[in-house]
Amino acid sequence: MASRIYAWLDSRLNLKAVEHSLLDEPIPGGASWIYVFGSATLFLFILQAITGMFLAIYYAPTPDHAYDSVQFIENQVTFGWFVRGLHHWGASGMVIAVGLHMLQVFLYGAFKPPREMMWMVGVVLFLIVLGFAFTGYLLPWDQTAYWATQVGINMVGTVPVVGDVLVKVMRGGELLGALTLSRFFAVHVLFLPAVIVTGIMLHLFILRRVGPAGPWDEKKAAAGSETFYPRQVYMDAVVMAGIFALLVLLACLVPFPLADKANPSDTSFVPVPEWYFLFYYELLKHVHGPLEPFATWILPGLVVVILLLWPLLDWKKTVRAPASRPVGMALAALFLLVVFSLLAVSLKNLYGVKRVDPGIAHGQALFANLGCAGCHRIHGTGGALGPDLSYIGDERPDREWHMKHFRDPQSVSPGSIMPKFPLTEQELHDLTSYMVSLRKAG
Amino acid sequence: MSAPELHPSDTSGLSTPTGTRRRFFQWVTRAAAGLIGLSLAIPLVGYVISPALKRRTQSWVDVASLDELPVGKPKQVDYVATVQDGYLETKTQKAVWAVKQTDGQVTVFSPICTHLGCGYHWDEGEQKFKCPCHGSAFDLSGRVVAGPAPRPLDALPSKMEKGRLLVMYKEFKSGVAGKIEL
Repeated sequence: MASRIYAWLDSRLNLKAVEHSLLDEPIPGGASWIYVFGSATLFLFILQAITGMFLAIYYAPTPDHAYDSVQFIENQVTFGWFVRGLHHWGASGMVIAVGLHMLQVFLYGAFKPPREMMWMVGVVLFLIVLGFAFTGYLLPWDQTAYWATQVGINMVGTVPVVGDVLVKVMRGGELLGALTLSRFFAVHVLFLPAVIVTGIMLHLFILRRVGPAGPWDEKKAAAGSETFYPRQVYMDAVVMAGIFALLVLLACLVPFPLADKANPSDTSFVPVPEWYFLFYYELLKHVHGPLEPFATWILPGLVVVILLLWPLLDWKKTVRAPASRPVGMALAALFLLVVFSLLAVSLKNLYGVKRVDPGIAHGQALFANLGCAGCHRIHGTGGALGPDLSYIGDERPDREWHMKHFRDPQSVSPGSIMPKFPLTEQELHDLTSYMVSLRKAG
Repeated sequence: MSAPELHPSDTSGLSTPTGTRRRFFQWVTRAAAGLIGLSLAIPLVGYVISPALKRRTQSWVDVASLDELPVGKPKQVDYVATVQDGYLETKTQKAVWAVKQTDGQVTVFSPICTHLGCGYHWDEGEQKFKCPCHGSAFDLSGRVVAGPAPRPLDALPSKMEKGRLLVMYKEFKSGVAGKIEL
């Protein structure tokens, strides 16, 4: 049946020629596992596009509803957590795949003539992927999203002359708010996809015009070419299935709950960017004062320009073997060394030291939401009906006491006028953590 | 040939795997594509249709004290309910008609005319519910006494508890003889 439909279509559309052109593309030196990264990146892009479209079914891009709609996807929609998980981990996967793809192309000297344009379009595609990452991060509208974006946008403000204007254009106004969220959403789901699809088509068009580069060793390349199908396709497919399985595992096993809803007045929140921006975040910690613009925009700008123009800057136009390109290789190694060292230092700072119990922040939010400040005062804020809690952690360090007290105030403090609050077990723990954390010496 | 397992293809001088090797590569490719496709398609279908198929859960809403209802005279009472609309929680307000019979039983009518869905009112002089749109009229028990209405007024589920009247609001298809819940 299928073959008859194909024959019917082929007799009209001449599909055999298309099939031949797509599948019998020559791979110089034969198929190889080292060539899978481009296909892997394309696969991840398609996966991001599909999961993104499905997330958009329930997502609402306004500060009033964004957080609740993501919570709805996560908790109410069947497989909502799965779709969101794939999209979340797929974003990281995409950055990794692009990185490996660029590394392979650089190592193989595949950016050299006649493939300079393919590299340059590729660098632009990489920047678009980072644009996707930056705009997508704000959309859940939780504390992390809000404050990380706040910092990201403010960094643009250090660009001389146009910085202030750029910041306002990015925010869509003076403040990060409703207008920012809707324009980030539009850029993330409409503008960038249109641009990246055009770029991907251009990238692939150039690939088909110049052909894959193949091995750098002329002898290996001269040994003959193999058709793209079936062996390279098989390798690509195996890698795609592997990546997909990994993403499914991550989506199922590693939950990443939302932080509290974005609260513009809570300036105590310390945002942490996604891991792929961490090295940059770390760099900014070490550069202050007059040197700051150097880190915020001169250095990144320089790296991007060098990356973009590298095929033109590289003076050895014909030599592809890594061993014959010591300067290029040394520069790349230095760049990677710096990036990964910064990333390692940043991860060590974030996870190596004892982290603040997240329950304390939740407890603090509960304290605000339940209206505890109506009766209790902390550092001068709140009513005076109940005891001042500014240093309650010193006065009553016993967690058990607090737990009992929240369950039934009169049981440990007879005659207390404090009402019982219906708290979940988790809320009891978090509120207690907050109480115990209120001490003179942090 | 660089790789011994490769054979020149007939057409182009390129090498390409043949025979069982070729079939193995084809089979693995299809299996991978099928696996990814299926494990993506099934969750995505569930993702799209699950909230669409979810029935709204309804609960009893306290609308009035039984003492406030006059016997044999319909009274319009407010029905205020919280409706979960996806990630939104909205309050809906409807005014339903409650009629207390002489035996103390209370009937509650949907405020929507069974003809084409207009709101009707109680005419004290004629002792009828009258719909201003097309002239349908109903008596105190909801029976059609005039006009094009195809069925009596829709009684809503109601119950009495501790001197309060509780109602569950529902809507029914208008214009048909049968009482079909929407």
